[in-house]
Amino acid sequence: MTAPLVRFRDVTKTYDGHTQVVAALNLDVQRGEFLTLLGPSGSGKTTTLMMLAGFEDPSSGRIELDGARIDTVPPHRRGIGVVFQNYALFPHMTVAENLAFPLSIRRMPRAEIASRTQRALEMVRLPGFGDRRPQQLSGGQQQRVALARALIFEPKLVLLDEPLGALDKQLREELQTEIRRIHAQLGVTMVYVTHDQAEALTLSDRIAVFNEGRIQQLGTAEAVYEHPANPFVAGFIGENNRLAARVLDATRLRLGDGSVLTATPHDLPAGAAALLSIRPERVALGAAAQGMTNAATARVEEVVYLGDHSRLRLAHAGRTDFIVKLPRQDAVPQPGTMVELGIPEAAVTVFPAD
Amino acid sequence: MRRTNWLAALLIAPLLLLIIGSFLMPVGLTLFRAVADREVAAALPDTSTILAAWDGQRLPPEAAFAAVARELAAALEERRIGDVAQRMNFERTGLRTLLLRTARAGDRLQAPYVASLVALDARWGESETWLMLQRAGGPTTSLYLLRAMDLTRGPDGAVMQVPDDEKLFQTLFIRTLWVSLLVTAICVLLAYPVAYTITRLRAPWSSVALTLVLIPFWSSVLVRTTAWFVLLQREGPVNDALIGIGILEAPAQILGTRIAVLLALVHVLLPFAILPMHSVMTRLDATYLRAAASLGANGVQRFFRVWLPLSLPGVAAGGAMVFLLSVGMYTAPALVGGDRDQMVTWFIANFMTRDVNWGMAAALSAYLLAMSGAVIALTRILTGGTIQAGARA
Amino acid sequence: MRDHPLARLLLRGTTVLVLGFLMAPMLAVVVLSFSPTELMVLPPRGFSLRWYEDFLTAGRWVLATRNSFVVAIATTILATPLGTAAAIGLQLGRFRGKALLVTLLTLPLVTPYIVTAASMYFAYSLAGLSGSLLGLVLGHTVVAVPFVVMAVLATLQTFDANLLRAAASLGAAPLPAILRVVVPNTWPGIAAGAVFAFATSLDEFVITLFLAGPGQFTLPRQMYASVREFLTPTILAAATLLFLCSLIFLLVSEALRLRAARKVVR
Repeated sequence: MTAPLVRFRDVTKTYDGHTQVVAALNLDVQRGEFLTLLGPSGSGKTTTLMMLAGFEDPSSGRIELDGARIDTVPPHRRGIGVVFQNYALFPHMTVAENLAFPLSIRRMPRAEIASRTQRALEMVRLPGFGDRRPQQLSGGQQQRVALARALIFEPKLVLLDEPLGALDKQLREELQTEIRRIHAQLGVTMVYVTHDQAEALTLSDRIAVFNEGRIQQLGTAEAVYEHPANPFVAGFIGENNRLAARVLDATRLRLGDGSVLTATPHDLPAGAAALLSIRPERVALGAAAQGMTNAATARVEEVVYLGDHSRLRLAHAGRTDFIVKLPRQDAVPQPGTMVELGIPEAAVTVFPAD
Repeated sequence: MRRTNWLAALLIAPLLLLIIGSFLMPVGLTLFRAVADREVAAALPDTSTILAAWDGQRLPPEAAFAAVARELAAALEERRIGDVAQRMNFERTGLRTLLLRTARAGDRLQAPYVASLVALDARWGESETWLMLQRAGGPTTSLYLLRAMDLTRGPDGAVMQVPDDEKLFQTLFIRTLWVSLLVTAICVLLAYPVAYTITRLRAPWSSVALTLVLIPFWSSVLVRTTAWFVLLQREGPVNDALIGIGILEAPAQILGTRIAVLLALVHVLLPFAILPMHSVMTRLDATYLRAAASLGANGVQRFFRVWLPLSLPGVAAGGAMVFLLSVGMYTAPALVGGDRDQMVTWFIANFMTRDVNWGMAAALSAYLLAMSGAVIALTRILTGGTIQAGARA
Repeated sequence: MRDHPLARLLLRGTTVLVLGFLMAPMLAVVVLSFSPTELMVLPPRGFSLRWYEDFLTAGRWVLATRNSFVVAIATTILATPLGTAAAIGLQLGRFRGKALLVTLLTLPLVTPYIVTAASMYFAYSLAGLSGSLLGLVLGHTVVAVPFVVMAVLATLQTFDANLLRAAASLGAAPLPAILRVVVPNTWPGIAAGAVFAFATSLDEFVITLFLAGPGQFTLPRQMYASVREFLTPTILAAATLLFLCSLIFLLVSEALRLRAARKVVR
């Protein structure tokens, strides 16, 4: 494996001297990868991106690009493309002039600028839009232009700061596909910031989950979803049922209502307090639940029809908010009825309780 | 961010230097002038040195008499006698004559100087004269600041009122404040209904009315005051009209009266009251009035309990602006007012150009600045905002 | 929500009277400037351009007009870039005491003009600037430049700071970024500031009264001298022309304001 493109080394950012917006960050971005910084607002993900772009200075630590320290280099000499949430297209320039801006700054010959601009417009499927003003384009079109502008000077690294946040759902999904296609086509390294976990799962090679200024987990989409490192990650990515329990032995735990649940082997000592996370879509109901170790009968409290699946709220394990997602099928249990329920051992993730 | 701040500093620096160099430093210099006292020390250096060591009891030593005779003659020779004569005359009327006479005496003054100076003028034999010379030795004095309040120092150095027939400045400040307050009150009372009506008018009419306020706002104070100067002539249109409708029988002298000053000031400053009120009122949501109506308030209650309190910041800003500009206005009162009914500004200009008494001009400027500063500070405290916009007065 | 009909009548009546009071003197001056005789009476007894002819041929008025425009143009050229740069710096900077700095830079607006004028008279004579064109332009710039700062600052409130970040990310150094991105997007404010500066200088009287040498009389200064000397309708022709200039400035500044507002809406 080649050396990483970007390295954050013990990077800390504080505005007031004591609250750390980013705390002792260590992160490598690999060449050509699509890395997403995911987290709630105020988690430090955008500050991290802004420090990489050069719009914020780290309070301590260092940032390297291609082996060279860049945290003291002014943003305009870093050669990093940035796509902003509000597009930040220059309103006094046409689309073509916007695209030509970084090239004319670099004193490229006119003919070269014209042909590159043309190619960039084709890449984002907007040929013929060069003479329009940004204000005459739709939000989606504007963001394509912004993406093309960030790529046209062939930066090694492109940063995207919630670029789809202002768009509606359908357009967002369309542009996600587009961004993925361009990433694959150009092989450029992309660092993407979002608070939308579905978007992160769709796009990323790797996801860094941020909370309170720290990376909670760094891994592939599958890893952070299936094997969350802590309760925060489990709760932030996807839905989950959280149950308090006490460890009986290497596989068995006692729940609040006294029932016993079996999980895959974990390393918590007997008697320790534990927190269980169970994904709603992995709970089996009815005939599918028969024969499972963790089988029980539960009362259906509420059923919400959501088209491709139904969402059931059950009274189980001493609680009335146990959620189960049922893929679209003919027989959906009615509220008030009793239903067989089974939890696969592999679906139970065990964390130590704080 | 650090780099951005450097860039910001670089962008601000040229203007800051310009403002410091050609505005703040000159104003600072003026404030310093109000307390500076260098004329006597500059013209009579030896005398000042000897007097500085004198204990003030009885008369100073013979050396002081010799020095003052020599240095006054030299100052006359080099035409520098005027500054020191004027400065001393300010201590006591008549000292100008004493100094000039002594300077011109020339060879008639011989040793022993005590005797020949006293022979020339008995005042050289009074220790009071020498005390005043000693006091004027500088480098600073409170004389100008005191005199600008009709105060002076007695022979013993205690602060006291000047004689009644020399009093001038207390009434001047009171007059300036009174006229400014009157102008402010008239402007606020006239501006409020106008601002309200403009705010409530329908689309094209509100713009038309606002334009009619903006036109005088943009045109020069001098042009507008000149207009009043023309209109208020003895044979001018206003007198013609007043006679025409039978109010007057013969042309009246309006120019040079308080009425003319008030007319011109109100006319010049009214837009400065209307515009801030209007800008506050346009930001008042009409839904407040609807809400008040739905809660059962009638028209009068809606106005006094909802609209008026919400629009008060505009009234405060407009009123403060008018008062501030009125206190500092030179052009309008100078052109249409009478010489015996002038404001502080006119006296500053007069001390500068006619009397060439820069110390008094500076002292009056200092008080005027203090008054302006107090008005701004008071408005900031009352409204929590700043006064913006200015006059080209 | 309507006002009571009687209240409305009273309010509108007051407004008409006040607006009439504001406009009447200027209209009277305009009408009187076309008077055929030296008598200034209303209604006018005829129409003549003789006072305008007098204005255009009398040496002192021509000189004053020329001086006025030379000083106003020089003031605008000095005040606009200085004020614009300072406003951009104030908007970009992230430091304490910014409010104090704005107050300091706009202090000439709230300082009585007579104090400013007297101070400049003292200080500029020490520096050998009294009676010089440079001194007069400096004096006018000091009172004109706060208008530029405020006009540009107001436009910058609606400027998207991300545009500067975008320019930096695309390789533009700070100064080119300001020239190529900030200036083109705030030009209505800059132009409005320039118009304000020009108008301020053209109308300025008190500072000129103290700083101008004998050959440097500007239009307002010449008007004042003439009024004190002998009142002729030529003065009214001069006043009318200055008034016309003010109307043009008002129109241009309103057009720029609308332009800036439209930029924001889009």
